[in-house]
Amino acid sequence: MRGFRWDIFIEFFVKVLPYLYVTAIYVVSSVFFGFLIGLCVAMLRLSKRKVLRLIGSLYVTILRSVPSVVLLFIIYYGLPMWLRSSFGIVMGDTDTIIYVIVTFSLILGSSMSEIIRTSYLSVPHGQYEAAVMVGLKPTQAILRIVFPQGFIVALPNLGNIFIFMMKEGALAYTIGLHDVLGRGMYLGGLKANIYNLELYLALALIYWPCTMILDKVFKIWEKKLRSKYLRQREKAC
Amino acid sequence: MLEIRNVKKNFKNLEVLKDVSLVVEDGEVVVILGPSGSGKTTLLRCISFLERADEGSMKLGDTEVNLKRATKRQINELRKNMAFVFQNYNLFANKTVLENVMEGLTVARKVPKKEAEERALEALEWVGVLNKKDAYPSELSGGQQQRVGIARAVVLNPEVILFDEPTSALDPELVGDILDVIKNVAKKGITMVVVTHEMSFAQEVASKVVFMDGGVVVESGTPNQIFFYPKEERTKKFLERIIPQDQYYI
Repeated sequence: MRGFRWDIFIEFFVKVLPYLYVTAIYVVSSVFFGFLIGLCVAMLRLSKRKVLRLIGSLYVTILRSVPSVVLLFIIYYGLPMWLRSSFGIVMGDTDTIIYVIVTFSLILGSSMSEIIRTSYLSVPHGQYEAAVMVGLKPTQAILRIVFPQGFIVALPNLGNIFIFMMKEGALAYTIGLHDVLGRGMYLGGLKANIYNLELYLALALIYWPCTMILDKVFKIWEKKLRSKYLRQREKAC
Repeated sequence: MLEIRNVKKNFKNLEVLKDVSLVVEDGEVVVILGPSGSGKTTLLRCISFLERADEGSMKLGDTEVNLKRATKRQINELRKNMAFVFQNYNLFANKTVLENVMEGLTVARKVPKKEAEERALEALEWVGVLNKKDAYPSELSGGQQQRVGIARAVVLNPEVILFDEPTSALDPELVGDILDVIKNVAKKGITMVVVTHEMSFAQEVASKVVFMDGGVVVESGTPNQIFFYPKEERTKKFLERIIPQDQYYI
């Protein structure tokens, strides 16, 4: 039985750390596009028309019931085929991250739609009515009155979405993306997978502070916004 | 002048408004009375397009629209000539009192910030909550919130202010104060349509009382005509039930 090799542990840590930016890219872009998709789906689900509501909830149901890996492979094999046959675009080998972003934008779109919908509903509709009655256009009423209040309600969930995305996104190794996990597994393979314990502990040490920082940032952000006017509301209740 | 013709509104199978017409002359204070479910609030909400009427037309000033087919743009323009005071105040929780009152001026009417602030402060002083200008709505009592609600409406200098049961959500002891504020609005000569259950207020302030029941205007007239010489059986029954109760409370 060999002992724990601290030197190799550190070597893995140092070599993998720079690939954190790949992880950061797909986390930020997936959350961004996921938010846009979620916004559209939430609007569908809040629509007055039954057909649109149905389309919205169908989207959520379908995406929720497919494991991320399965969807990732469907996109990985399906997207290039579709782009090629429909638009004549040929995807290169370097575009792996795009499949990851597309997959997770779709998945986050479904969970974000729920977050957006419930946050929207948490703001009393009367305030929207009051806003349009002082002459604001409906979009102004949403942006100036409803959104700022709903956003605070959504913040804790939004923080969780980031953390979820960072961890779930590691599945990107399955299609060969060199993010933190992907690069780590590659380097581990170069050493014939003998030092896998060192490797995975090093990876954990990279992910762990990221999660903590994200968690903290969102908590502080929420507290800062909440202290402005919602705290007083809670006191009053 | 506000003129409403043949408004009809159904909620699913329930006929809430069955052909209601109403004319409000400039400077008039019209009080709408009636039992719950008679369609009073729905009428106000149809006038302000918070609900879409199924039929009917409206004329405010020089603008005439079909209540069902009015475009978003027409609605926005019409709303700039009216204001609404809500039963549960509906102040913007993310804005201070002053910002609440300024919002309609700066954002919707593009009034320069400085002028808007002056007008807002004036309105707040007028309703008696100037000292709360930097507070958030959650820090105010119900009565103070409704004062801000009234200031938010008055500051816009609209052709007509619609009051939807403005005192129903208040503590009984605060009702009188708010009614006094509303009376002062009436004294300014602003055209008002008020839905309320406060009979003494109606008697004192209204230039015209409209009694609604079951989605129709049963009868309308001066407060004197309605309260002391009602023609319709339904009006009499309603008043019999309401007025002794009022006296009981006094």
